[in-house]
Amino acid sequence: MVSPEVHHLFHHPIADHSFSADRQTLAVARDNQVELYGRSGGKFILQDELKGHDKTVTSVDIALTTGQIVTCSQDRNAYVWEPSPTGWKPTLVLLRINRAATFVRWSPSEKKFAVGSGARIIAVCYFEEENDWWVSKHLKKPIRSTITTLSWHPNSVLLAAGSTDAHARVFSSFIKGVDERPESSVWGERLPFNTVCGEYLNNSSGWIHSVAFSPSGNALAFAAHDSSVTVVYPSGPEQPPLAVVSLSTQLLPFLSLIWNGESEIIAAGYDCEAYRLRGSEQGWQIVGSMESKGRPGLGEMREESALNMFRQMDLKGKGARDDTVLKTVHQNTVTTVRVYEGVAGGVRKFSSSGVDGRVVIWTT
Amino acid sequence: MVTANWRTINIDLLDPESSANFPVSSLLPTLPQVSASEVQTLSGQIRQLLRGGDTEGALRGALENAPYGGDVGAKEIHLATVSEILQSIKASDMSPLLSRIYNSENGPETLDVLMKYLYKGMAHSSPPSNPSSKMLTPQTTGFSQIHSRGGGEGGGQAMSVLLSWHEKLVEIAGAGSIVRVMTDRRTV
Repeated sequence: MVSPEVHHLFHHPIADHSFSADRQTLAVARDNQVELYGRSGGKFILQDELKGHDKTVTSVDIALTTGQIVTCSQDRNAYVWEPSPTGWKPTLVLLRINRAATFVRWSPSEKKFAVGSGARIIAVCYFEEENDWWVSKHLKKPIRSTITTLSWHPNSVLLAAGSTDAHARVFSSFIKGVDERPESSVWGERLPFNTVCGEYLNNSSGWIHSVAFSPSGNALAFAAHDSSVTVVYPSGPEQPPLAVVSLSTQLLPFLSLIWNGESEIIAAGYDCEAYRLRGSEQGWQIVGSMESKGRPGLGEMREESALNMFRQMDLKGKGARDDTVLKTVHQNTVTTVRVYEGVAGGVRKFSSSGVDGRVVIWTT
Repeated sequence: MVTANWRTINIDLLDPESSANFPVSSLLPTLPQVSASEVQTLSGQIRQLLRGGDTEGALRGALENAPYGGDVGAKEIHLATVSEILQSIKASDMSPLLSRIYNSENGPETLDVLMKYLYKGMAHSSPPSNPSSKMLTPQTTGFSQIHSRGGGEGGGQAMSVLLSWHEKLVEIAGAGSIVRVMTDRRTV
């Protein structure tokens, strides 16, 4: 197993991170600003700072083809940043929300992006040529609480959202003149804006931390605060789903999850490490952790001799066992997991970031 | 003339769109109503199993039929039943019993219910009719039902039974089970 590439950027929580398409630039949300790191050799060096938000930046996403960066913040604003000869130029987006913006993601088509908020609204934003302005349309019903997470379907029309009202929902975000009419799928045939294509709740109804469409878009997974992962397999429009598989784990809750192919999910959260889950309509199981335990170079794994123990007690006034370091690579909660390098039908590498200020690139 | 202190008015209640005017229960699946007498009947059946020596059957029966939709009284009766079962199981039998339940169908969910009862048991305060023991050991808490039935059994002992169950249960069902107790809106 290839050991993970660890980048300890700073001693501060990372709310969200995103890599550019060439993986040479890394955007990291830190406090009220977004920091851009450039890869030089094996390291990431701070290159630029995107300043403009005056409250904590909650989410950042780099569009893979256009290179535009979208950020959103608790100051209720979102900015689209474009590269220009004089540096990054921000454009304010009219979100029209009265609570914090919590989560933002570009659609796969990159013509739109969606912003989740505490105002029980998802703002679907698109560029209006005539006004030279990003405008938004609101997905409102039937959201009853803060949107914590979003995920785009590959067709750029369907949007999954997880909320603190414990529901994971699938909406249509079809915008005339921007989107092409989507092909009918298991989620529905005709999809005008704000069509609710699915609404799911698990048994113990914990609030949702992460949602993700499978690569084909024909299944939806969500992780909730009851330490569960639920996978929904819809059967067709207006019909009960083919299967809803819920897995209650023995672990602490997952905060972020991605699909690796149609039968594997990688999830990480409060346990500070990523886990691999496998399954199908019949059921899902945790296969194991992505960490290779007993890696050389980890101090606390060393065999402790009695001499060493007494020496430590003499020097530091305590036993040799230093339990201030976790055995995981991340030293605190992992908040975001993203695909770093995809291959046909799966993920070759993925990246994770968390409260410990580390960005780690893992090989699956 | 009416004078109102405008600052104390909860303006959220005046906004029809506000979440303060929204009953959260309407978002959740409805739970079947259970009456106290039904719970009483069930507890009789479970005690029958317990007397017959089938502690596992009794525990399963009690946990799988938790009266989520019951009122306070019904829930109290069921808590008493569950704690009686828990007290009658030897410490050495706990772990094997829990792993058998965990590996059976719907096992993890059954153990989550057990975890709910452990926390509910621990939250249960000493009965007010017994103030002297409360004065002496203010930190110990027990069940009112156990006190009256168990005949002088201290709250401390009931607590130690719950704590040893808790320890064994976390070993098998993990921290996830504790998180689910805090998250789940279906309370016991």
